[in-house]
Amino acid sequence: MNDTKYIGIEFNYYRPESLKAVLEKLKEDGSKILAGGTDLLVRIKTDMEKPKNIVEITGVKELSVLETNNELIIGAVVKLFEIEKNDTIRKMYPSLYEAVKSIGGKQIRNMATLTGNLCNASPGADSAPPLIVLGANVEIKTLNEKSEIARRLIPLEDFFTGPGKTILGAKEILTKVIVPKPQENTGSAFKKIARVNLDISKISCAVFLERKERVIKEIRIAVGAAAATPVRAYQTEKALTGKEYDLTKIQKNLALIESDISPITDVRSTAEYRKEVAPILLKDTLKLAWERAGGEVLI
Amino acid sequence: MKIPISIKINGREYNVEVKSNELLLNVLREKFGLLGAKYGCGIGECGACTVLLNGRAILSCLTLAVSVNGQEITTIEGLSDGSKLHPLQESFIEEGAIQCGFCTPGMILSAKALIDEKPEPTNNEIKEAIRGNVCRCTGYVNIITAIKAGAKKIKRSEK
Ligand SMILES: Cc1cc2nc3c(=O)[nH]c(=O)nc-3n(C[C@@H](O)[C@@H](O)[C@H](O)COP(=O)(O)OP(=O)(O)OC[C@H]3O[C@@H](n4cnc5c(N)ncnc54)[C@H](O)[C@@H]3O)c2cc1C
Ligand code: FES
Ligand code: FES
Repeated sequence: MNDTKYIGIEFNYYRPESLKAVLEKLKEDGSKILAGGTDLLVRIKTDMEKPKNIVEITGVKELSVLETNNELIIGAVVKLFEIEKNDTIRKMYPSLYEAVKSIGGKQIRNMATLTGNLCNASPGADSAPPLIVLGANVEIKTLNEKSEIARRLIPLEDFFTGPGKTILGAKEILTKVIVPKPQENTGSAFKKIARVNLDISKISCAVFLERKERVIKEIRIAVGAAAATPVRAYQTEKALTGKEYDLTKIQKNLALIESDISPITDVRSTAEYRKEVAPILLKDTLKLAWERAGGEVLI
Repeated sequence: MKIPISIKINGREYNVEVKSNELLLNVLREKFGLLGAKYGCGIGECGACTVLLNGRAILSCLTLAVSVNGQEITTIEGLSDGSKLHPLQESFIEEGAIQCGFCTPGMILSAKALIDEKPEPTNNEIKEAIRGNVCRCTGYVNIITAIKAGAKKIKRSEK
């Protein structure tokens, strides 16, 4: 057993106040970004990470941006509780609100950041499925050869590459998450199955859809904790697009989700259970998204 | 690496030197002798190490001491007024919401943060607020009753 009472390794600690200074520190080997620490400190305590330099980013003002005017912009040091408290997010991006609210207990949400949840890249990171279906992009910054700040924008969907792995290089920082404003007649929802509510997901699902009268005009589905990364359910999406919203008729389309995912058996659940429950979870999430898109409420 | 920091703990300002890898929990317990915050799991699961950072409940086992430089910490020791207990402490005793007491400082601080934000919390709001605090002996019924009773006491004392 690891002793989780103390941190067994030594490291340097920096808390720069400018993005440039953060990026300069990241150029040194063994540097690691610290945001809320709810993943990083657990990983250090359990010997999964041994950074030489800890670069805390909470002192960088520009990373605390939280804007809801047009598109939604969430900076890298915005804590989960700030997202949970924001009325516009709760109303316009309910799937994101639901996911954030389901993460950990109050203390965790008072400490943890949204960006940290993404960068840690757990296949079950709850914030990922809703942000993927909402069409979020992430802004990534680094220093180029001339020591100028270079920026790239990546669809969140392409961000994850494996369990704990992303396209982020060691010298890069995710500065903000940008989510487009949902149009009329759209709705989104998130649901997860966990042992108790604050627990890490066994499987999670987010749906975003556009309704045209009784028809699902467009739909995006993402599933968490059911593959090496959060994944889009493309086959299911394709089968549901253009279909009339009739749960009995689309039952077999919903079942397709089993082939969109590739779950494993781990401490939280078995592959079989995850496959079995996925269509049911999808159905519940879809219902909620449909109602939110102004569709008829079906019991 | 040693770093000088200034922190306000329970209303008093301190300047201390901490090591970069020191946890807030251990600094409170070992440097300040404040033994209310407990080491339970060390990985964020139990809430026994809960303290308030600028009024919000956080886990001191997952917080570097250097990270709270310039900020304000409240521990359970900061709640009573001399030997006069805080209304929540009283109600926890009166309602039998304490057995071994290991979870109690964290429970009460989570409850205080809630009541500061919502003076008349519902049962669901209370459950939500203490979701990250595990109690292995009392069970949660008495704890919820105590938090409700504490909230009422606080309201009355403010009148
Ligand atoms: C008890 C407990 C319960 C939890 N429950 C849930 C749950 O139900 N659902 C869930 O999804 N998660 C859960 N989590 C994990 C969740 O707290 C974290 O994923 C959190 O959101 C990470 O954010 P942070 O700010 O704490 O990140 P940190 O721990 O500070 O950082 C996490 C990782 O991301 C890197 N990083 C952070 N910010 C950036 C950035 N801007 N650019 C580049 N890299 C960066 C860090 O270097 C580190 O590797 C739980 C954790 C605990 C301890
Ligand atoms: S000791 Fe901090 S949460 Fe258990
Ligand atoms: S009273 Fe013993 S853990 Fe709660």
